[in-house]
Amino acid sequence: MVGFFSIAPVAVVYLQRLHLRQFRNYAEQWVEFVAPKTILVGDNAQGKSNLLEAVELLATLRSHRTSRDGDLVRSAQDCAQITGWIDRAAGPLELSLSLRRVGRRTLVRSGETLRRQLDGLGSLNAVEFSSLDLDLVRGGPEQRRRWLDGLVMQLEPIYAHLLRQYERVLRQRNALLRDWAKQRRQGQALSDRAAELAIWDAQLAATGTRLIRRRARAIARLAPLASRWHGAISGRVETLTLTYAPNVAIAPDVWQLPALEEARAIEATLLAQIRDQAEIEQYQGTSLVGPHRDEVTLAVDDAPAKQYGSQGQQRTLVLALKLAELCAIEAVVGEPPLLLLDDVLAELDLARQNQLLGAIADRFQTIVTTTHLGAFDARWLDSAQVLTVRSGEIVA
Amino acid sequence: MLYAAQRRRCAVYTRPLARLIEQLQRLPGIGPKSAQRLALYLLNRPEAEIQTLAQALLDAKQQVGHCQVCYHLSAEPVCEVCSNPNRDQQTICVVADSRDLIAIERTREYRGRYHVLGGVISPMDGIGPESLTIQPLVQRVHREKTHEVILAIGPSIEGETTTLYLSQLLKPFTKVTRIAFGLPVGGELEYADEVTLAKALEGRREVE
Repeated sequence: MVGFFSIAPVAVVYLQRLHLRQFRNYAEQWVEFVAPKTILVGDNAQGKSNLLEAVELLATLRSHRTSRDGDLVRSAQDCAQITGWIDRAAGPLELSLSLRRVGRRTLVRSGETLRRQLDGLGSLNAVEFSSLDLDLVRGGPEQRRRWLDGLVMQLEPIYAHLLRQYERVLRQRNALLRDWAKQRRQGQALSDRAAELAIWDAQLAATGTRLIRRRARAIARLAPLASRWHGAISGRVETLTLTYAPNVAIAPDVWQLPALEEARAIEATLLAQIRDQAEIEQYQGTSLVGPHRDEVTLAVDDAPAKQYGSQGQQRTLVLALKLAELCAIEAVVGEPPLLLLDDVLAELDLARQNQLLGAIADRFQTIVTTTHLGAFDARWLDSAQVLTVRSGEIVA
Repeated sequence: MLYAAQRRRCAVYTRPLARLIEQLQRLPGIGPKSAQRLALYLLNRPEAEIQTLAQALLDAKQQVGHCQVCYHLSAEPVCEVCSNPNRDQQTICVVADSRDLIAIERTREYRGRYHVLGGVISPMDGIGPESLTIQPLVQRVHREKTHEVILAIGPSIEGETTTLYLSQLLKPFTKVTRIAFGLPVGGELEYADEVTLAKALEGRREVE
């Protein structure tokens, strides 16, 4: 905790206190955040990442490590609880998420149980950067869609609801197509469900349009920030281009239209595509058109990033994306989000660490995990609060 | 974990009691603890009372069927609403199930008649238009020369799909309207959640 009193007074600690109960390997743990930078140090599998995951869950209601709440509850327990005390411009608030092995989550904000959990989104914003994020470059389109969805949710919390609606329509429509394809294979007389399918087509186009417009808007905001950061980190020798590539080809001039007409044009394009693919869809028994097949392309100097460069270069690229995300959220929300760095800082060389340090300065509250402090630049160590994690407990 | 709890119960309760708890627990909204409380309560009641309860269950099951006209729950072939001559014969309010009908009846605002669909379109659950009472509705509208069909189906994805499907089907024959969605009356705007507000904005209308 050396030097913690020397922090600049402008620094704001948004997440001030965290309480974990029966969460992952923590039985009961209080954490006080007293500096804008916190370093969690400890051996592997002691619970450092679990703590970051708890913060991520409070901010986004999702974990990038699991989609099953049961995984988050300490073994032999029924219910886990994460509570955070947050101080932001809108005033202090207490956010508490209960996760159950069996049954649904509950989210309580300052004593009020939220009937719609997405209303709790935006109480705390966070950007997480872990080694898994290298899959943004190397992995398939679904990784990038998931990342993009997470970002849009933080920028516009209602997106969580829109996404759920779209996924529901998609599941229903797929069930109908599957049923149809099965009847066809078994040589049964096909019941006439064309009218029913037409309604699901319309629903898919309507809900899908909402996703496409919001995704496009988010990428438009993010792309210039990402290239700027990439330029700064890589020394301006290469250009990163981030592009939203919706599954349905949308004419470039559509994006210039006024909002209502833009929406109508996209919906019409979606519907036309759906009709084009109707026969193949009915044969394959699944939906082939829509934002569930969108892609975000990353290119460096016009070459696909997947084939580009070393691990170090890919890491630079992801770092640029994360910093862009951080700035985009700050610009839209009006307050800087938390930055959660899971085991990635020590993997950056000192020059990149310094870039990062310069970028976040004291503006962003940052929580970092690491197995050893040796790889850190002295400036990091000087201004940070260091907590040691050992088998589900913070020991110092 | 559930299995362990069940095994424990068999050891603690005598067999007929365990069976009663088991049955009660199948009811919606009843968990293991409530089931136990209800079962122990029932055991303490006089036998005549239990007889009455059991008989009421059987009678309801055996005597209550669906109205031939609107498919509302009814002990008679035609339900009270449909056989009431004072109700507007020319307006039909379409609801997903009988519970919704009862909710609308409680308002005492609506003087027309109803049609109960028996669910909403949901391919995932194997429910297509043919599993609902949609054909009888179309025939009814045709036969009764209905002036207006009010679609009063909840705004879930499936409800919305059913509403769209019905409106396309019925529009050639009659005027089709749907109930409005938005803010609860007496509620404060600032406390409304975003989804409801968005819906209310979508359904805004000109001030008369």
